[in-house]
Amino acid sequence: MIELRDVRKSFNRGKPNEFTAVQGISLEIEAGKATVLKGPSGSGKTTLLSMIGCMSRPSAGRIWVRGREITSLPERFLTEIRRRTFGFVFQQANLIRGITALENAVLPAYPIGESFATIRKRGLALFDRFGIRPKAESKAEWLSGGEAQRVVMVRALMNDPAVIIADEPTAHLDTNLSRDFMDILAGLKEDGKTLLLASHDPLVSESRVVDRVVNLRDGRIDGGTG
Amino acid sequence: MIFHPLIIALLAGSVFVVLMVAYSSAAAVGILRKWDLGSGSELQLALERKTYLVSTLLAYVFAFELLSFFLYILTADRIQPFFVGAMCAAGSLNVNGFGYPTLVVRLVNFLCVGVWLILNHVDSRGFDYPLIKVKYRAFLILAPLVLLEGGLQAAYFLRLKPDIITSCCGTLFSAASGSLVPGMGGIPRVPAMAVFYAVTAAASGLGLIYWRKGRGGYLFSGLALLMFAVSVVSIFAFISPYIYELPTHRCPFCMLQKEYGYIGYPLYLALLSGTIAGFGVGVLMPFRRIASLSETLGPLQRRLALIAAVLFLVFAGIVTARIAVSNLVF
Repeated sequence: MIELRDVRKSFNRGKPNEFTAVQGISLEIEAGKATVLKGPSGSGKTTLLSMIGCMSRPSAGRIWVRGREITSLPERFLTEIRRRTFGFVFQQANLIRGITALENAVLPAYPIGESFATIRKRGLALFDRFGIRPKAESKAEWLSGGEAQRVVMVRALMNDPAVIIADEPTAHLDTNLSRDFMDILAGLKEDGKTLLLASHDPLVSESRVVDRVVNLRDGRIDGGTG
Repeated sequence: MIFHPLIIALLAGSVFVVLMVAYSSAAAVGILRKWDLGSGSELQLALERKTYLVSTLLAYVFAFELLSFFLYILTADRIQPFFVGAMCAAGSLNVNGFGYPTLVVRLVNFLCVGVWLILNHVDSRGFDYPLIKVKYRAFLILAPLVLLEGGLQAAYFLRLKPDIITSCCGTLFSAASGSLVPGMGGIPRVPAMAVFYAVTAAASGLGLIYWRKGRGGYLFSGLALLMFAVSVVSIFAFISPYIYELPTHRCPFCMLQKEYGYIGYPLYLALLSGTIAGFGVGVLMPFRRIASLSETLGPLQRRLALIAAVLFLVFAGIVTARIAVSNLVF
C-alpha cells in the first residue's frame, strides 16, 4: 500500500541551523491495517506523516503509494493524490469559526467539482453515521471537543479516501473522548480504510484497533516494529 | 535615443531575458547530465525541484519574448520620426547594420520559442517528466539564439544615430536594385494569389481533418510551415499593394500604422500563432506513444490543429476582406 525507501528529510540545508528530522527510513505499511508511528517529540513522526501524505517532499529517498511513486510527481499530480487518497486529522481540529459544522466538514469536497447538493448529501450522511446530525448547522465555535473531533472525522472522510492520516489525534482529548475516537477508527478499519497515526499516547498505541507500532527516535526506526 | 521609453523597456526586458536564459542554461546542462528518475538520491530530488522552477521561469520569460517581438516592431515604427528618410519601421531598422538581423533572429526565435512552450506544456502534463530531456536539449539549442538576439538588439539600439539619413520603405521594398528582398518585383500577382488561397485551403482543411479524425499530423505540420512561407511572399506580392492601394508599395511595416488601421498586427499575430500551433502538431507526433501522455497528447494536438486552422482562416479572411474593399485596380 505505502512503501518508503531510504527516506530522508532535512531542513535549512547548508545553513548553520541545518536539521535532519528523518534519517533514512525504509518502511512498508499494509493496506487495511492500523499503523502507529510512536516516539517522543522530535522523533520525526509528523515529518514522516507529512511526506507520506504528499504535503512535503523528502530530501532523498522515494515513497510509493498504491504502487505509484509520489516523490517525483509534479505538484499538480500530488494535489490530486492528496485530495483522493488521504484524509487528514490534525492535532488541532482547525475548524473555521463563523461557518457551520457542515460547511467546515464539506470543504475538502469543493475542488472535486461535484454539485453542492451531492456534497451536502454525503456530508449529512457522515454526520448521521457519527451521531452529530443535530449539530450540522451549528457554528464551529459552539461545538464541544468531542463534537469537533467528529466533525474533523467527517471532513477527513468527505472524499472517501483510502488512507486516514492522523497526527496526535488525541492530544487535546480527555480519556473518554480518546476512547470514543479510537472506536471511530475501529469502524473505519472495518470499512477497509488504512489508518496511519502518529502518537505518543499509550491509549492510541495500546489500542486493540492498532495492528502495528513503529517506534521512532531521532528520525530513525528504533528497535524494529511491534 | 536610447532614453525612448520603448527602447528602455526592450533593453531592460532583454537583460532580464538574457540573465534568466543564462541561468536556465546552466540548470539545463545539470539536468541533462545528472537526471535519473529511477534514483531517489538527494541530487535527483533537487533536480526535480529545479526543473519545476526552471520551466516555470522559462514559461514567463518566453511569454515575454513572444510579446516583445511585437514591441520591437512597434518601437522601430515609433522611432522613425528621428531619422531623415524613414517613413515607417522599415527605415528605422535600416539605420544601422543590426536592425534587420535582429528582426530576422527575433522572428526565428518567436517561432522556436512558441514551439518550445508547447513542448514544455506537454512535459508538465505527464507525471514522469516524459519530455524532460527533449525539451532541455531543444532549449540548449534555442538559448544561444535568444542570447544572440539580445546582443544584436542591444547593438542596434546603442548604435542609433539620429543624424543618419536612411531609406524609406519605398526604396527598401521595391523591384529596383538595393531592395532588401531581391526578385520580389518579379512575383506575378495572380499566380501568387492562386497559390496563397490554395495553400490556405489545404492547410486549414487538413487542420480541420486532423482535429476531427487525428490523421495526417506530419503533412498538416509541413503545410503549416508552407503556409507561413507562402504568406510572407504573398505579403510582398499582393497583400501589401492591396492594403496600401498602390501597386508599387510592398512594405510589410506600413500596415502596422494607424493610417491602415493597425491591420498588420492582427495579420501577423494570426499568421505567426497559427504557424506555431500547426508546426507544434508535427513536433509532438513522435511522442504519442509515451504512456503517461496517452490521455493528454491526442486531444492537445487536435486542439492545436483546430487553433492553427482557424488562425489561418482568420489571416486569409482579413486579407480577402481588405482586397474586397480596396480601391486598387490592376
